[in-house]
Amino acid sequence: MGSPGIRAQPPERVDSAGKLRAAPVRFAGRILWAAVSLAAAFAMGVIAQSRGEPVNSIWLVIAAACTYLVGYRFYAAFIAARAMALDDRRATPAERLRDGHDFEPTNKWIVFGHHFAAIAGPGPLVGPTLAAQFGYLPGALWIVIGAVLGGAVQDFVVLFCSLRRDGKSLGQMAREEIGKVGGFISLVTVLLIMIILLAVIGLVVVNALKDSPWGVFTIASTMPIALIMGVYLRYLRPGRVLECSALGFVLLMGGIFGGQAVAHSTTIAPWFTYGGVALAIGLIVYGYLSSALPVWLLLAPRGYLSTFVKLGVIVLLAVGIIFLRPELRLPPFTRFVDGTGPIFAGKIFPFAFITIACGAVSGFHSLISSGTTPKMLIKERHAVGVGYGSMLLESFVAIMALIAAASLEPGVYFAVNSPAAIVGANPQAAAATITSWGFPVTADQMTLLARDAGERTLFYRTGGAPSLALGMAKIFSGASFFASPGFIAFWYHFAIMFEALFILTTLDSGTRVGRFMLQDLLGQVWPKFGETGWKPGMLLTSAGIVGAWGYFLYQGVLDPNGGVNSLWPLFGISNQLLATVALCVGTTVLVKKHGARYMWITCGPLVWLVTVCFTAGWQKIFSDAPALGFLAQAAALEAGPHTAITAELVFNARLDAAITGVFLVLVAAILIDSVRVWIRALAGERKPATTETPFVLSTFAEGA
Amino acid sequence: MRTFLRILAGIFQELSDQRAYRTYLQWHGLAHSPAEWRRFSDERWARQARRGRCC
Repeated sequence: MGSPGIRAQPPERVDSAGKLRAAPVRFAGRILWAAVSLAAAFAMGVIAQSRGEPVNSIWLVIAAACTYLVGYRFYAAFIAARAMALDDRRATPAERLRDGHDFEPTNKWIVFGHHFAAIAGPGPLVGPTLAAQFGYLPGALWIVIGAVLGGAVQDFVVLFCSLRRDGKSLGQMAREEIGKVGGFISLVTVLLIMIILLAVIGLVVVNALKDSPWGVFTIASTMPIALIMGVYLRYLRPGRVLECSALGFVLLMGGIFGGQAVAHSTTIAPWFTYGGVALAIGLIVYGYLSSALPVWLLLAPRGYLSTFVKLGVIVLLAVGIIFLRPELRLPPFTRFVDGTGPIFAGKIFPFAFITIACGAVSGFHSLISSGTTPKMLIKERHAVGVGYGSMLLESFVAIMALIAAASLEPGVYFAVNSPAAIVGANPQAAAATITSWGFPVTADQMTLLARDAGERTLFYRTGGAPSLALGMAKIFSGASFFASPGFIAFWYHFAIMFEALFILTTLDSGTRVGRFMLQDLLGQVWPKFGETGWKPGMLLTSAGIVGAWGYFLYQGVLDPNGGVNSLWPLFGISNQLLATVALCVGTTVLVKKHGARYMWITCGPLVWLVTVCFTAGWQKIFSDAPALGFLAQAAALEAGPHTAITAELVFNARLDAAITGVFLVLVAAILIDSVRVWIRALAGERKPATTETPFVLSTFAEGA
Repeated sequence: MRTFLRILAGIFQELSDQRAYRTYLQWHGLAHSPAEWRRFSDERWARQARRGRCC
């Protein structure tokens, strides 16, 4: 499998014994790869050296694409050939355990599509947008380097481990390779991550739709559209998904234009204008319905619609950026690298690396890599493109999101993303504060922009989604045939709708998956709960999982510092913790297989993540700054005037501190347990026990 | 251009599960009917609904 969308030389070949060897590079190939490497270095140099003047985004695209190509061609091939010794003659779980359901040999491109669809959510769009407060350079470097050396390696290694272990899950592998502690930690972590992730992305939707009748109308209209599609697909024209999706798309466009009419109507607009609390309650109700209603009625039609819109917008954004080449107007570094940023508190290290998780390293991907994907691969070498390649594509989506955010005027970017509590409660005060930071913006400029975008105001639209939508709208409307004020409004709301649709798809399917996990967990205590068809159990566990993320969402809405401020780092820490578990499993497998020889492949990113997680976790709990440290925040709130909401905020800050503390303990436990296993294996105390399945000759292998 | 459109149509059919449904009918030697689609989609969606998705 070549790099997605790019015709590249295959990164590996199969020798006469059926084992993978790194393909030799011919002279012309060497010249080509030297040119690609030089292009990556030169483009990176242009970006890094640029000071004081806007740099064209095409340099970032070239730097990222060329680095991905080199990483895929050489590093992935090296890992595949040396550390894993992938063997196409070895039958995969899909072949050996074929059952027509979970285990099914599947075309490599289809597996690639399934894997990419499962790992790519709103995270790579929102994280880079928020982290742009440090400037575009830290985020860009972390996204590219982190993905090539960390994220893609993690996804690839976990996929390999699972492929060689009957498609077992990360939790099972952790229990068998490391010990019971590792297995238990991965179970607890997955549930915690799920809850925090759902709360965080729910908060992004709330902030995007706050006081926006157009946005609320458009998103609300997707619910009846999904119901219509569900009934259409089940009873009117069964099996006609494409036809049904086309109908849904037309209705969705109607929802966007209808939203414009609603926003301009003085009578109807108030019906669709809501604050954060009302929107949060609406989302919680939606989450419950999506978990409790039949899949065909809401979840499946929304999934189809979302897939088509997601693919279309990502392609459109890529084409827009490549052809229109917007300039990056944010500086490479801002003054906020010192931790005084208005969007979220904390210094560039470690918080840039916590905020951008999914575009660089995401522990959640290891669940997909050890979930359905290893049960579908026909040949072991397909793991290179599916495991390593799809993460590179996800990273590229994150780069595009960063470009969209960084192409906004810096003053506008900060005006949209800064909460009122930090910049000032009225537009004039906010504009003055932001201008005093060296990022000029005026209230009139923002009013004009809000009018162009069809919004009442664009101040204090925190969460990342509105600024990303604005950046995307600017890029799309940069094409001469789209350039008119009406089109900026259309593209802005299209982008808002796209992000909300994207996020709601993760929210509804995540809630349902969380419900199943909770049912499995409670089923251990009372088996009746484990039966997914038992209605009382289904309704109760749905309420349990929605209540858990709903609590954090509600807390985020009440948080005077913007909510995402405290919740996003929590999500980042928990996600990176799961990556720590995944990399510990990967390192353990490599140590048992080769001793210390190749353990650096996974140990490098592991050490980095542990450093980042511990530093961030420690600062989030114990920092003296109330904007950063949960305990300091609780103390400051207690010292201030006591209002009805103060006690709740104090409790929330302490709860956040406790959860972060639990994360740190879990990281330490998994690490100590893993190091104990490595030391034993390296010291040769006893032959390391490995759970790798024995070799079985594949019927797909040539000559078999 | 024709090849491009064919690939595009293939992608759409794949994304919409229509190709998977066709394979399912062929595999089991069945003909399309509303009841068969419901059986196929119920099983497929139930599996998809259990599959985790990342952010």
